[in-house]
Amino acid sequence: MMSSRIGRLTVAATTALSLVASTACGPGATGEAPAPATDSGPALTEDGVQLSALAPDNLARPRPAAPFDLTGNWFIDVSENPEAWRFGPPYPTLTPAAQVHFDASQKALADGLVYRDDIGQCWPAGLPLIMTRYWPFAMVQIPTAVYMISGFMNSVRIIYLDGRSHTDPDIVVRTFNGESIGHWEGDTMVVDTTAFRPDHHWMDQGGASIPAGTQLHIVERIRMVDGQLEIAYTMTDPEYWEGEWKSTKRFNRVIDEDIQEVSCLPDLNEHLQSTTSAAQVR
Amino acid sequence: MRKSVSGLVWVLVFLVIAPAFAHHSPAAFDRTKRVTIEGTVKEFRWQNPHTWIEVNVPDEKGGTVLWGVELTSPTYLIRAGWKSNTIKAGDKVTVVVNPVRTGEPAGIFVSLTLADGRVLTERPARLGTPESK
Repeated sequence: MMSSRIGRLTVAATTALSLVASTACGPGATGEAPAPATDSGPALTEDGVQLSALAPDNLARPRPAAPFDLTGNWFIDVSENPEAWRFGPPYPTLTPAAQVHFDASQKALADGLVYRDDIGQCWPAGLPLIMTRYWPFAMVQIPTAVYMISGFMNSVRIIYLDGRSHTDPDIVVRTFNGESIGHWEGDTMVVDTTAFRPDHHWMDQGGASIPAGTQLHIVERIRMVDGQLEIAYTMTDPEYWEGEWKSTKRFNRVIDEDIQEVSCLPDLNEHLQSTTSAAQVR
Repeated sequence: MRKSVSGLVWVLVFLVIAPAFAHHSPAAFDRTKRVTIEGTVKEFRWQNPHTWIEVNVPDEKGGTVLWGVELTSPTYLIRAGWKSNTIKAGDKVTVVVNPVRTGEPAGIFVSLTLADGRVLTERPARLGTPESK
């Protein structure tokens, strides 16, 4: 009888110790067991709103160490091919809606003209061209996101790594650089970008005018290879081309130059007379 | 007799390989031609994304034609020895450009000769050679 009483006391003591341990969780503890540490799923406020990538609670969430850190300034590698900033040729099979523009651009080039250089008229380059401008871009990587500022018109791009999903299509604001959600697969950062604008967005500049629109979907597989940044692009837009458009780009680290303020000021093109010359086909 | 040197435009044919400008397509320029203009600086704007020089070039009718010359970012001009006060309004300059294809008085910069004879070019944006890691 004494042993059973000791047994019950032992069980009770053990239970009490467990309760004490579970409530010893620092300021604000409510006595409930802490949520298990996890790096999956979105980090939300108490009201269920997505936490900012810079919110302390989001940053503090335990996550596995990133396979690499691409923080730095980068510049498209055109050392072997000055045209490597372009994403084609080759081009995928175009839809009629795209073929019209492609044909017009080829005719313009043959006539010594430039067809629909929207970027030259201060429209943003958008993804993917923003990545291969003849300007360096800065990337800063933290556990929850990669913040990118391009030297070209200070275009901003954010790749979210904090477990969030794409915004509901009914409320997303469509942009030129789209909404980028990334996750890690082994040594690769896989970035999925959607929510692009419907107009003034092109896959090339001054060459093959192929439009991109709301159905554009870009997957980037980003790796660090031999000190370079490598991005393998797989792009679909059934409105303008068939199947997947693939291209792989490499970027070199820039250590002797910082990003500057660069804007398309309202009077810029007044003084770059080529942008308003008869050479431009609008 | 006063020697007339103003208003002369020399057209030369060269093959030029140069990096593309990212803001506006270089396809508007004929990179196989060079035009030399001599005139007076109207404005020299030292800014991103493009520095520019506007030059009043005397024409053969006694007037002037305003030429627009487009250069690269100051980041790369500095590496070729330029400063923001290298030229100013009123300076006499000789500029070599690749002209726009349509014959308008505009071109992309190749070189500039100052009144004291110094010749300035521009460093292109880096060609992306693998450097430090």
